[in-house]
Amino acid sequence: MGGHRETDEGDSDAALLRAVAGGDSAAMAALYDRHAGWLHARLTRRCADPEVVREVLQDTFVTVWRSADSHRGEDAGGWLWTIAARRLVDAWRVQQRTARLRTAPMEEAGDDCRPAAPSAEDRVLAGLEYGDVGTALDRISPELREVLRATVVDGLTTRETAWLLGIPEGTVKSRAMRARAELRAALAQVSPSPMGGPA
Amino acid sequence: MTGWHAPDHFVTRYADGSLPESDAWSLEKHLECCGTCAARVSRAVRGAAAGVVLAEVREAVLGNAREAVPGAPHAAKAAPRAPAAARKAHRARPWAPGSRPARILWAAGPAVRGAWLPAVLLVAVGAVALAHAGGLPDARPWLLALAPVLPVAGVALSYGPHADPLHEIAAATPSAGLRLVLTRTAAVLAVSLPLLTLAGALLPSSDAPGAAAWLLPGLALTLASLALAGHVGVRTATAVTGGGWLCAVLGPVLAAPGGRLTAHLSERLSSFLDGAPAQGGWAAAAVLCAAVLATRRPAHHFLEMR
Repeated sequence: MGGHRETDEGDSDAALLRAVAGGDSAAMAALYDRHAGWLHARLTRRCADPEVVREVLQDTFVTVWRSADSHRGEDAGGWLWTIAARRLVDAWRVQQRTARLRTAPMEEAGDDCRPAAPSAEDRVLAGLEYGDVGTALDRISPELREVLRATVVDGLTTRETAWLLGIPEGTVKSRAMRARAELRAALAQVSPSPMGGPA
Repeated sequence: MTGWHAPDHFVTRYADGSLPESDAWSLEKHLECCGTCAARVSRAVRGAAAGVVLAEVREAVLGNAREAVPGAPHAAKAAPRAPAAARKAHRARPWAPGSRPARILWAAGPAVRGAWLPAVLLVAVGAVALAHAGGLPDARPWLLALAPVLPVAGVALSYGPHADPLHEIAAATPSAGLRLVLTRTAAVLAVSLPLLTLAGALLPSSDAPGAAAWLLPGLALTLASLALAGHVGVRTATAVTGGGWLCAVLGPVLAAPGGRLTAHLSERLSSFLDGAPAQGGWAAAAVLCAAVLATRRPAHHFLEMR
């Protein structure tokens, strides 16, 4: 296979998906080139095991190829991410199951797939350079933040979040509540004027 | 759409993984609805360390796509990459694993391989043996009452995690869902229709309806099961249609006073199966179910998840 075809900005995602549903593999290539990169980066931020990321990315696009005709006109990027996130949860569950069968020294391998926490440097940078919400987010603990990310940003259900993070559903709920409260408090500290709390 | 696009330093830092969490979140949300920025970030990621992986996955995905075009008649398997030479070799030997006839045979698999085939044979042979040797001359009504349920049971045993040990793998192929269910249903019907009708014809005729009278009801119930399966899953759907038929036919017979079970059953079956209006009704039901099946095709895409 030669170099990547430059993405043709003229074709809308919806048109590409319709062509993919009709079995057009050139449209599939264009769709892949437009979206695979950021999906890979986003999955990598949530799972440190490159093999799992690769597998999930491939599964995602095979699923797209198979069921492009079930796309109902929503944003293609959001639709793709929904598929990828569910695949990631599935892959993580499988890995947990095999990790349970392994012996003690192998258990560390399972921990690889924790969502990557930002380095201290990043946190400082965020506090200095960026807005109030960023500062507030960086003040809450990483455990609370990963729950917020899975539920608010990635749109996973409580149960899927529990699978992804390897914690009970009840813990997800209580952490989400605590995260909201702490975020509200942190926001109040950062900017004395009261702003609307996060939903 | 707000007209806002991600600044370049966001794109490059996101691509190399160094963008702080909170900014990454807002960029990620933006990428979900902005194709332009999605393409920019993807290009940046391709240029970074992930480029090799992306190219490899691209080839696997597209190789898979070229091999199995959705909706095209030759879509049958999803092995990511089969070398062209190997595929040619398969074409030369029709029954080699991976060749088209072998794949069709595999697709028809669980229905005619499992416990169901012996069960159908047992019913057919048992009915004939009982009628001729066992001194039970009126076996045909019983066969006719059971026959429509057998293809339905075959459908239930042909698709889903409870029936097919290879289901996880089968479900990941492009032909999974409705396509595979239809293939397997066709296999079920191809075995059960001739076998049961022949058995019925061999039975001594009494005042029961003809040996072929069950064909349309059997077809209608099978199609109804498939149409329902898209909504409630294969197992529940077949339980509803098969159980419904048995209740409708046997329920009143068993509840009827007097010991002449077979005569009651014969009467009951005649009202269900005899005459043009009854058969026409079953034909209409079959056509209706086929129409529902055709229009609600997307519901069957995720059959395996129920």
